[in-house]
Amino acid sequence: MTYLKSRRFIGAAFTAITILSITRTITGNGDLTSTVTIAQALVFASPIALAGLAGIWAERAGVINIGLEGMMILGTFGAGWAGWQWGVWAGVLAGVAFGAIGGLLLAVAAVTFGVDQIIAGTAINLLALGLTKFLAILLFTDAPGGGQAQSPPIKGDIPTFTLESIVEPLTALHEKGIFFVSDLAGLVAGLFYHLSLLTIITFLLFVMTSYLLWKTAFGLRLRSAGENPWAADSLGVKVVQYKYAAVVFSGMLAGLGGAYLSIASTIYRNGNTAGRGFIGLATMIFGDWRPGGTAAGAIMFGYIDTLRLIDTGNQNVKGLILLGAIILFAIGGIMLRKAKRNSAIGFLVLGSVMIGAYFSATSFPPEVAQVAPYITTLLVLATASQNLRPPAADGVPYRKGDHH
Amino acid sequence: MAQNVLAVELAGIWKRFPGVIANSDINLKVTAGTVHAIVGENGAGKSTLMKILYGMQKADEGTISINGSELIFSSPSDAIDAGIGMVHQHFMLADNFTVLENIVLGSEPKSGGKLDFAKARQQISDIAAENGLAVDPDILVSELGVGDRQRIEILKVLYRGAKILILDEPTAVLVPHEVDELFNTLRDLKKEGLTVIFISHKLDEVLSIADEITVIRQGTTVGSVNPHTQQVSARDLAEMMVGNELPTPQSVGDTIRDEVVLKVENLSVFAKGGKAIVDDISFQIRAGEILGIAGVEGNGQAEILDALMGIEAATGTVHFKTEDISKKSTRHRRELGIGFIPEDRQRQALLMEAPLWENRMLGHQTREPNSKGFLLNPRGAKADTKRIVKEYDVRTPSIDVLASALSGGNQQKLIVGREMSGDPKLLIAAHPTRGVDVGAQAAIWDHIRNARQAGLAVLLVSADLDELIGLSDTLKVLLRGKFVADADPATVTPQELGTAMTGAGKAA
Repeated sequence: MTYLKSRRFIGAAFTAITILSITRTITGNGDLTSTVTIAQALVFASPIALAGLAGIWAERAGVINIGLEGMMILGTFGAGWAGWQWGVWAGVLAGVAFGAIGGLLLAVAAVTFGVDQIIAGTAINLLALGLTKFLAILLFTDAPGGGQAQSPPIKGDIPTFTLESIVEPLTALHEKGIFFVSDLAGLVAGLFYHLSLLTIITFLLFVMTSYLLWKTAFGLRLRSAGENPWAADSLGVKVVQYKYAAVVFSGMLAGLGGAYLSIASTIYRNGNTAGRGFIGLATMIFGDWRPGGTAAGAIMFGYIDTLRLIDTGNQNVKGLILLGAIILFAIGGIMLRKAKRNSAIGFLVLGSVMIGAYFSATSFPPEVAQVAPYITTLLVLATASQNLRPPAADGVPYRKGDHH
Repeated sequence: MAQNVLAVELAGIWKRFPGVIANSDINLKVTAGTVHAIVGENGAGKSTLMKILYGMQKADEGTISINGSELIFSSPSDAIDAGIGMVHQHFMLADNFTVLENIVLGSEPKSGGKLDFAKARQQISDIAAENGLAVDPDILVSELGVGDRQRIEILKVLYRGAKILILDEPTAVLVPHEVDELFNTLRDLKKEGLTVIFISHKLDEVLSIADEITVIRQGTTVGSVNPHTQQVSARDLAEMMVGNELPTPQSVGDTIRDEVVLKVENLSVFAKGGKAIVDDISFQIRAGEILGIAGVEGNGQAEILDALMGIEAATGTVHFKTEDISKKSTRHRRELGIGFIPEDRQRQALLMEAPLWENRMLGHQTREPNSKGFLLNPRGAKADTKRIVKEYDVRTPSIDVLASALSGGNQQKLIVGREMSGDPKLLIAAHPTRGVDVGAQAAIWDHIRNARQAGLAVLLVSADLDELIGLSDTLKVLLRGKFVADADPATVTPQELGTAMTGAGKAA
């Protein structure tokens, strides 16, 4: 990590905490930055982050993985099926293995047979959805505690850790409500409160990916398959093998994400993924096909999900709307400085509308709550994606000896 | 120099593709420590032969011997192991990678499990210093121009310890002073004892650099000459390549008429950040006039052409005859009789996965013979494609093959044929003969000259300075989006023009 990079990271974190802090102060809603909220956000963020990481592996090797959702579904099923019978760690392994099968399927279709990658991925999504529904009826209907659409409870728990010595004083500090300081305290305490071993594994997988893909010869070759496979081939890189390895590992990561979901809700349930594979894909794009940015995007989604789900008295939704407005104003300001007048006006007007809504309404229908954060995300994505640098040969079918 | 040691010997090489024999009974002997040129027309089989030598394709028959021992190559790695390196015509570089990453890919220095960036940097700067190839290893390739990219390709090969270098049409994309630099590099490499195989159809260049020249015609080797001991001219070589005597392309007299066909005033094109790529230029072209624009690639040529065709947003006014077309659509402009030969034929001019006759319709889909009223007329298009194939000597088994099946030069002939169809009033052409061999080049020039005789106005952009000087009636030099000099094609030399293009001095 260079000096410049770490400075940018600290700057971004500082800005994010400041915006959160302002929102928390105006709304007077301590939940926005509380220990529990952050801890829960990590739980919601991890499966999305794993899906995003899975996307990075496949697409860095030049294979678009629209099938992430399907591979996650396979993972949720594997975890429920094996976890119910042989315990939670068997569930994790089965989730990874099932995901790997999904990945292998995509690799065979997209790499060996050169099938259009969007179509192959979509087929895997449909196949996984139908297959797991069918198998659930077949395997879980008569099982004790199971049903047509859900597995019996998974046996055992993943260990979680709480560092009392950090969490207690920081949580106390959070409750004092001091601008910035208390919010920072709540955020940090949340990282060490009921921290699941799976979340730690997720974090380590991100570190490992950064190292493997960007610091080793293996990573350079894998990425060359996504940038210019013909050049890689001309230098003796076995492109097909790297693509296979990347796509299968991508499936394993997505499967792990699915297993995480099932374990977090203690059972396999039809439709438990609820599009998280696609959200993972979006965070990968948001993160410019890099682990750091992808993790940040996943945490953002996890945070929004958390606020929506632990909402009491409709206050969090109001908070989110204000948060969205502040972000829009911030982007509008940046646009103004860059002399992009039209976009700036757009952002400022939208921000004003949201501010107006915040102050005029006492409560919001939950539908607004569900949509508002995503609209904000979409706008952030739209601005961020101006400078993205996707792998140059992402999605391009590769045949040995073709081209030039 | 070690004499009579054969670095490469190919004997009796045959390669057949469905419907085509690419190589038949090729015999080639390359002496170690020399620059050996291989010349031939487009589609003569040069590239196939080099792919066989580099292990990318397998010969059906014949043997390959390197330094006296017979080897079988089943992949480029085998060839690399035997000390052969290839600099491809289309650069094989990953744009989003740094120079260092591109060079070490596939043979990375490692320490532990990690890629040893420090060692790689050291090795690259050592090799670069030894051979006078200066590069910054940490810059992204996407930020580099063609000359630098080619140096990286050569470094890639040297980094792998190659003793035999294959360069596939290395000068096609270079401006004159870059060609001189390349040739100096090649002479240095030769001094280091390396063997260079140099593929080209630019015969003057071949004569200036090669120690031995082998000519390929219609897939087979027809002879070798040594320019040091034998008297050979470019013309002799060309006749060996083509197999008969060449027509002499001569410029014809003044054909310029009074009628102004294209009038451009204060044209500007801006990049995303607001920087002017084309900076407030004005010019006009009269009927029967060819206006040539000289300039190093990337100085705004592509943007001018795209702006004139209505593809790129621009400010300023463009008049076609008396009509203001500044705000008109590309289709409207084409229907007025503006033909367009773009810079990048695969990106802008052709659908690679469509048959030739469908490509014939592109851009002319609303006009005879491609359509009848509302409906397309495939029969008419097919008949006219056959005419183009015949008149422009497009080498193809049929008009139903995909455009991607043609060699680059033949694709270009098809495009030129298409754009010269339907009696255009104005032709906007970038590199009309790029990648085309001498025989076909002369034919394309003749087509353009004949049309000019009939009143065609031409805006010509070309990296081939002889072509610019030979064809143009008026020459302007473009540098950083502005015209910086005018030149008289009757008196200016390529060297003077090349100097003016880099901004070093004014042209005559």
